[in-house]
Amino acid sequence: MNYNKNSLNEFLFIRFQKGDELAFEHIFKASYNQLVGFCLQFVNNREEAKGIAQEAFVNLWLNREKIVKVTGINAFLYTSAKSACLKHIRHLQVVKKYSDSKLNEIEEQLQIESLDSLDLNSMEYVELNELIQQSIQNLPEKSRMVFEKKRFEGKTNREIAEELGITIKSVEANMTRAIKTLKANLTEYLPLFFVLIILS
Amino acid sequence: MEEIILYRYLSGEASEEEVHRVFSWVAESGENRKELIRLKQTWALAASAAEDGEKAWDQVKSQLKTDSPRITLWLSFIKYAVVGILLVGIGAISQKLLTNKAQETIYAENTSFEVPVGQMSCVFLPDGSLVHLNSESKLSYANDFSAGNRTVELCGEGYFNVQSDDEHPFVVKTPGKVHVKVHGTAFNVRAYHDEGKIHTVLEEGSVSLIDNIGNELTKLVPGDKASYSAETNKLTVSKVRTELFSSWKDGLITFRNERLGDIARMMQRWYNVEIVFDTPQLADELYNGTIMKNKPIDQILEVFRVTSSIEYTITPRVDKPTLIYWKSKRK
Repeated sequence: MNYNKNSLNEFLFIRFQKGDELAFEHIFKASYNQLVGFCLQFVNNREEAKGIAQEAFVNLWLNREKIVKVTGINAFLYTSAKSACLKHIRHLQVVKKYSDSKLNEIEEQLQIESLDSLDLNSMEYVELNELIQQSIQNLPEKSRMVFEKKRFEGKTNREIAEELGITIKSVEANMTRAIKTLKANLTEYLPLFFVLIILS
Repeated sequence: MEEIILYRYLSGEASEEEVHRVFSWVAESGENRKELIRLKQTWALAASAAEDGEKAWDQVKSQLKTDSPRITLWLSFIKYAVVGILLVGIGAISQKLLTNKAQETIYAENTSFEVPVGQMSCVFLPDGSLVHLNSESKLSYANDFSAGNRTVELCGEGYFNVQSDDEHPFVVKTPGKVHVKVHGTAFNVRAYHDEGKIHTVLEEGSVSLIDNIGNELTKLVPGDKASYSAETNKLTVSKVRTELFSSWKDGLITFRNERLGDIARMMQRWYNVEIVFDTPQLADELYNGTIMKNKPIDQILEVFRVTSSIEYTITPRVDKPTLIYWKSKRK
């Protein structure tokens, strides 16, 4: 089931604001997996990522009267998730990815920096999903398929290669192309998205 | 650096040897570091998990409190009507007012948001707190904000909804001698330079007013309005209907016995016009009523004409704000 496409329309938004639980359920199901996916990049623990995402939704419900427009929902969710992920990383609760402690140290810094410099206020002005959809529509067929398998089904490169009957190298090349396009598009639409202050 | 290795790193499928290579590439230049961070951000924003949404929903549902909305039925109806009008596009509401982003400037030590004349904006702070900024307002905070120094500076008017965090108090500094210390709450602060007064209205939670060195002057309870006058150096606290003071954030302005002169000053700020009164007595007349701020100025002027004793003329001018002339009907 794919709830993602443009499901957050204005009508739903008004019902949500007025405290309609069904509308909220719809919003939840449309964005939950994406928010978990976002958190998972930073906390490296599935249960924790789910916990953070669920808490963000509960906060959203409690603050629903204060969200002024439909794109404010994503901005709110990601801002909540961002704070929670940062807190989590700073309290050193992240499961270590690498056996080399030096690598873990650098990884942690990069994670904090990536979260910190994410300008989520810009998110209020554009629908993230639409932007991603638009970007991948313009990709060559194969890149798009690879990207969707990765993004929605969370498959490994090997699994995707086997399913599509191509080499792992080709999967990687196609994913690289998809990410490059996305990066360019996100930057173009959100000029403030990646304003960075490098203090290294 | 081979792009494929960067991708492998992002997807968590790189070997430690490859991660080593990525990190030494990152250490080579600030440009490389920036590039990797952009990639990580893109990757995170485009990510999606494949969890069971139904199961997660059941867990979340059990945590929702079904509290009834705090706003009165009447106000919520109006709110609904405002959104409805926006939807069908009747009334030529200037949507620019709602959607224009505050100009953001980022400095090494400071982040600030400035809202131009006639516009409103909404800003999320790094801790998840939400601030609605009214026309011609400026909000700034130091970049150690996310590290726990939750101090913002406000010049103008803002409606705050602050995330509670007992360890890190949230402080709103104003250009005057009175500041607001917050304990997790929703409130409105109005501190425009040209008004000589600082008004704080508390909707829910609790806030303290503090002086320049942080001493508590008084603590407010919900429904309180504290006004500080720079002229008399006095602080007065009174009970008010709080929604009258924060309704601007929803695009609704309610006036209760406000001087036309004061209303004109606000309108000059919202619409970037100049309002001139025929006689000083007219400026002292009191007005009651509610207007929808997001409507064009000519519609607002029409509302005033119908509901009060004033008539108006509009004179557009080159290089200067449009001139509005208000005179009394009774003559």
